[in-house]
Amino acid sequence: MKISLNWLREYGTLPESVSELAELLTRAGVEVEEVITHGVDLPEVVVAQIVSSDPHPNADRLSVCQVDDGSGEPRQIVCGAKNYQVGDKVPLALPGAILPGDFKIKVGKLRGVKSEGMMAAAEELGLPKAGEGLLILPQEARVGAPLSEIFPAESVLDLEITPNRPDLLSHVGMAREVAALTGAAWQDRPFVEGDLPSVTAPVAIETPLCSLYTLQALHGVTVGPSPDWLRKKLEAVGLRSINTIVDVTNFVLFETGQPLHAFDADKIEGEILVRPAGESRDFEALDEQRYALDPGDVVIADASGPVALAGVMGGRHSGVTATTCNLLLESACFDAGQVRKTSRRLGLASDSSHRFERGVDPAGVLPAARRAVEMILELAGGSVGELRVTGPVRDPIPARVVPLRLERLAAVLGIPVSADKVDAILTGFGLGKTGQGWEIPTFRQDLTREVDLIEEIARVIGMGAIPSRISATPAVPGEADVAYDFQMDLRRKLVAQGLNEARTSALVSSGGGCEEALRLRNPLGEDQAFLRTSLVPGLLTALTHNIRQGMRRVALFEIGRTFHAGNPEESMTLALVLNGVTAAADWRGTPARAFDWHDARGRLEALLPAPCQLRPTTAKVPFALVAEILVGECCVGVLGQLAPSEAKKLDAEGPVLAAEISLVALRGLGRDFNYREFPRFPAMGRDIALLCPLDLSYADVERTLREANEKLLVQIEPFDVFIDPTGEKVPRDRKSIGISLTFRAPTRTLNSEEVNTAFESLKESLGTKLAVDFR
Amino acid sequence: MEDRIAALQTEAVAAIESATDRKSLDAARVTHLGKSGGITRLSEGMRDVSKDDRPRLGKLLNELRQAVNAALEARELALATESDAAALAALDITLPGTRSETGSIHPLTHLLDKAVGIFRRLGFVLADGPDIETEWHCFDALNTPADHPARNEQDTFYLPDGRLLRTHTSSVQVRVMESQAPPVRIIAPGAAYRRDEVDATHLAQFTQMEGLYVDRQVSVADLKGTLEYFFRELFGPETEIRFRPHFFPFTEPSYEIDIRAQALGGKWMELAGCGMVDPAVFEGICQKRGDRVFDPEEVTGFAFGFGLDRLAMNLIQIPDIRMLVENDLRFLQQFPA
Repeated sequence: MKISLNWLREYGTLPESVSELAELLTRAGVEVEEVITHGVDLPEVVVAQIVSSDPHPNADRLSVCQVDDGSGEPRQIVCGAKNYQVGDKVPLALPGAILPGDFKIKVGKLRGVKSEGMMAAAEELGLPKAGEGLLILPQEARVGAPLSEIFPAESVLDLEITPNRPDLLSHVGMAREVAALTGAAWQDRPFVEGDLPSVTAPVAIETPLCSLYTLQALHGVTVGPSPDWLRKKLEAVGLRSINTIVDVTNFVLFETGQPLHAFDADKIEGEILVRPAGESRDFEALDEQRYALDPGDVVIADASGPVALAGVMGGRHSGVTATTCNLLLESACFDAGQVRKTSRRLGLASDSSHRFERGVDPAGVLPAARRAVEMILELAGGSVGELRVTGPVRDPIPARVVPLRLERLAAVLGIPVSADKVDAILTGFGLGKTGQGWEIPTFRQDLTREVDLIEEIARVIGMGAIPSRISATPAVPGEADVAYDFQMDLRRKLVAQGLNEARTSALVSSGGGCEEALRLRNPLGEDQAFLRTSLVPGLLTALTHNIRQGMRRVALFEIGRTFHAGNPEESMTLALVLNGVTAAADWRGTPARAFDWHDARGRLEALLPAPCQLRPTTAKVPFALVAEILVGECCVGVLGQLAPSEAKKLDAEGPVLAAEISLVALRGLGRDFNYREFPRFPAMGRDIALLCPLDLSYADVERTLREANEKLLVQIEPFDVFIDPTGEKVPRDRKSIGISLTFRAPTRTLNSEEVNTAFESLKESLGTKLAVDFR
Repeated sequence: MEDRIAALQTEAVAAIESATDRKSLDAARVTHLGKSGGITRLSEGMRDVSKDDRPRLGKLLNELRQAVNAALEARELALATESDAAALAALDITLPGTRSETGSIHPLTHLLDKAVGIFRRLGFVLADGPDIETEWHCFDALNTPADHPARNEQDTFYLPDGRLLRTHTSSVQVRVMESQAPPVRIIAPGAAYRRDEVDATHLAQFTQMEGLYVDRQVSVADLKGTLEYFFRELFGPETEIRFRPHFFPFTEPSYEIDIRAQALGGKWMELAGCGMVDPAVFEGICQKRGDRVFDPEEVTGFAFGFGLDRLAMNLIQIPDIRMLVENDLRFLQQFPA
C-alpha cells in the first residue's frame, strides 16, 4: 500500500527524514518495499528568466546567457541547450546545489567563459523527462522562487502490510502507528463531530455476512472535476482522479481505511437490499467486465438485480457519472471470508476488497460516511438526505479486555520489561488499562490474547534490546539422523566413483515407472501432473540435456523421494544413469572406452556390503534388459540397459545404463565392519580357458567351480571373454572365457603339486557338469 | 712384471671408462677380471715369480685388482645415473595431467549438509515427515485460518483425496510434537511445494529447512542467540543479522531475518522466518495428543524456517534458480566433493 508522507504529516509529527521513517517502520514490522520520490527537494534550484543569449566565443555548441535569478544581480550561465528563447523561465541550479547523482554545481569556466551555475533539464533534477533540452517553466512562475514551489517534493512509501494489521491500511492508521512508535503526538480522527443524523429506516439485510450496512442519501450534488489538492493526494498513492464524488470515496478509504461506495440514486429501482446472489448470476461491474456470480456471493441489489458486489466492486449501471445529482453513499462492514472468496474466485480485487478481506473497524463505518458527506457537501454541494442503518451502530461491539502478566512477558522475551514501559507502549497503541487487563480498541481486532500484547511490546523494544542466549544439550540421534548419515555416506561413495549428483523434480509428466502414479488434482500443467514413482526418467531427461550440450561422459545419480500408490507411499530411492565415455582416449595411446553394463554393476557393487547376483526380470519400455540386484535373498533394486532404439531417441550413443536402489532395502543389509583375518601365506594362480556355448552364463561356470568345494580355491576372476562373429578364432556358436583361479592355504605355503591336483579336479568338474571344452 | 701390471691397469681403466653401457662395461669386466682375463692370467703367472719378488708383486697385483674394481664400480654408478637421467629425460612435464574421474555433490546438498552440521553441534537432531501431507498437519495445526489464501487451490497442490503437497517443512514440527514430548530440538530439511509458475527466481518444488526448539523457559533470547550463531557459522563471523518483526500464523512474536554478509554479495537479504511458537499451536497439539505435555503455560519454544534454493543461488551467485534442477554437468562439476 502506498502512503504519501505529505498526507501522513497532516495527522502527526513524522521523523525528520524519509529514511528515518522507513527504518522506524521496518524495525516495527512494516516492510518498506520502495521509497518513491516525486517533485524536487533542492532548495538551491530556483526559477530564473533568461535575459539574453549570445554565442560562446570559443565553442559553436555553447551559448552564454545572462539570467535573472531574482537576486537583482544578473548571473552569467554557459549553456549547451538550444530549445529556449530569451524571456523563457527555466530551472537554475545555483552554485552549491547537489543534483541527483551527487552532481555538485560550482562556479567554473567553460571554454574560458565564466559560468555561475547551471540551467537544468527535467531529468537532471530527478523529474520525469520532458522533451529535449532545458525544462521550460510556465510564464507564471515567480523568478527566484525555489523550484519546489512548482514541483513540490513528495515522498511516497510503498509498504507491505501483513494480513493481521488491516488498521494500517490507511493514512490515519499509519499515523497512529508512527505516533505509537515514536511517542510523538498525533491528531485523532479528523472526522466531523456532533450528533449522529437520525436514522429513518433500516436497510434489509438477508445474509449473516453483512454485520453493518449504512446508506446515506445526498440530494442535488454537482459532479465535476476534483480540486488540485485532492487530485494530487490521490495521484500520490497511485489513483487516478475520476470526479468529485468518486474521488471523495477513494480519499476517505485511503484516509480512514473504510471503503465507501456511491450509487447514483436515480438509477436505483425500488429498495436497496443486501442479499446472497442466489439466482442472480450475471453482474457487470464498474470495470465494464461481466462476472458470473455464485449463489453464495453477497450482492447489493435493487428491484432490477445486483447493483454492487458487496465489498468488491460497484455495478456499472448504478455508478456515479457526470450527470448524477442524487447519491446513495454506502458504508458497511462485510464478512472478510466471503469477500475474499468472491474476490479470489472472480480474480477481481479492489482497494475495497483488499480491506474488507482483512477486516474493517466496525466503529469506523459511520464516521467514514460522515467524513465523506462533509467533503461532498463542500466540493459538490447538495444537501443531506436520510440515513438508513442496519446493524450495531450506536452501541457497537463491547470492548475486548486482554490480560497481560509481566512475568509471562519476561519469560517469552527473555528479559524483564518494566510496568511503566509496558504501560507506555500499550497506551501508545490506543489500548486502555483496566483492572482486568487491557481494553482493546475496535481498530485492533488482531489483539485477542496475551501473546498478541507481548508481540506489540517486542515490536517496540526491538530485537536489539533482547540479549542473545545460546545453549547446547546432548542429543540422542534418531532414525532421521541415521538415514541422513547413510545417504550422505552413499553420496560420497558415488562421488568417489566419478558420479555427479543431480536433483530432479518430483513433479513429472507421467509416473515414469511401470506402476500407477499419484496424480495431482490441480497441476500447473500436464508436464507436472504426477508424482514420480522413479528417479530414472528425470535422470534420463538430464542425460539428454547433457548429451545435447555436447557432454561425452554422463554419470549422474540422485537420492530422493519417490511416491507410490501403495504403502509405504513415499520411499527414499537412489538412482544412477551412465552413458558415454568412461575412460577417454589420451596422448599415451590409451583407447577410449564407453560405459557398459558391467561399469554400472561395479559402481553399484561398491555400495553393497556383500556380493550380489543379478536375476533377469521383465524389461519394459524403454529398457531392453533389466535385472534385479539380489544380495542373498534380498532384492535391493534393479539395473537395466536401454533398448538401443530408445537410447537413440535420447540422442545417446553406446549403452545407456540406469539403476534404481531402495535405500530402505540397502540399509537393511547392514554394514560389515568387523575384522577378518587376512592371508599371510603366498597364493598360487592357474588360468583356465574354456570354449563353451554362447548361452552359457559366466555365473553357471562360477557356480560350478564353487560347488566343487575345493578348499584351496579362494578366488575366481574372469580375465577374458571372447566372441568371434567371423568364426575364425572361435566357432560362431561358441565363446571363449578365460578365468584366473587363485589357490591359497591359510596356514602354510602351497606346493605346486597340490595346486595342480586341485586345478585338475576343478577342470574335471567343469568338464562333466557343463558343455565346455578346454583350450 | 711391474711393467705389465702398470700397462694392464692403464688398459683396463681406459676400457672401463670408455664403456658406454652395461653391456660394454660387462665385456670390459670379463676381459680383465674374467676366467681368461688379463688380470687372472697375470695372477696365474705369480706361480712363476721368485719367492723374493712375490710379496711385492703380490701387493702390486692386489692394488691393480682394487683399482680395476673401483673403476668398474665408479663407471657402473655413472652409467646408472646416466640411464636414470635418460629414462626421465623423455618425460615431458608440460603435458597435461590425467585425472581420475571424480564426481560432484550438488551445491544444494553441500549447503544443506553444512547447515545440518552447525545445528548438530548445538544438539539438534534431524526429523522427517512426508511430502504428501494432510491439510491438518500443514495448515490447521499451524494455526492457519480456514480461509487463509495459502490453502487456495491456486497456491497449493492437492491430491484427489484432499491431501496436499506440503507448502513448507513446518508440518514436520507438528509431526514431531505429535509423537515426542518436550524437550524437542529438531531440524527438518526437505522438499516443499508451491503452485508457482517456474521462472528465474521460483521453482514449484523447493528445499527448506525447518527448526524447532521446545522446552521450559525457551525465550526470544534463545531464538536470537541460536540463529545468530547459525548464520555466523554459515556465512562468517562478520555476518550482520537483523530480526524484523513480521507476521506468521504459527509464531508470535514473529520475525523475518535479514542477513548481510560478504559471502552473499554484501547486500541485505531476506533469508528466513522465525518466531516463538504460537500458544494456539501448542493447544492444537495438546488436543491431538490428548495430554498436556505441550501446555503453553508450561513450555515455550521457537521455530524457524528458510529456503535453501535462494540461499544457494546467492551464495554461489547463479543468475537463474532453474540451474539447480537443470543438472547441466558443466554446472554440477563446478562443485567438486
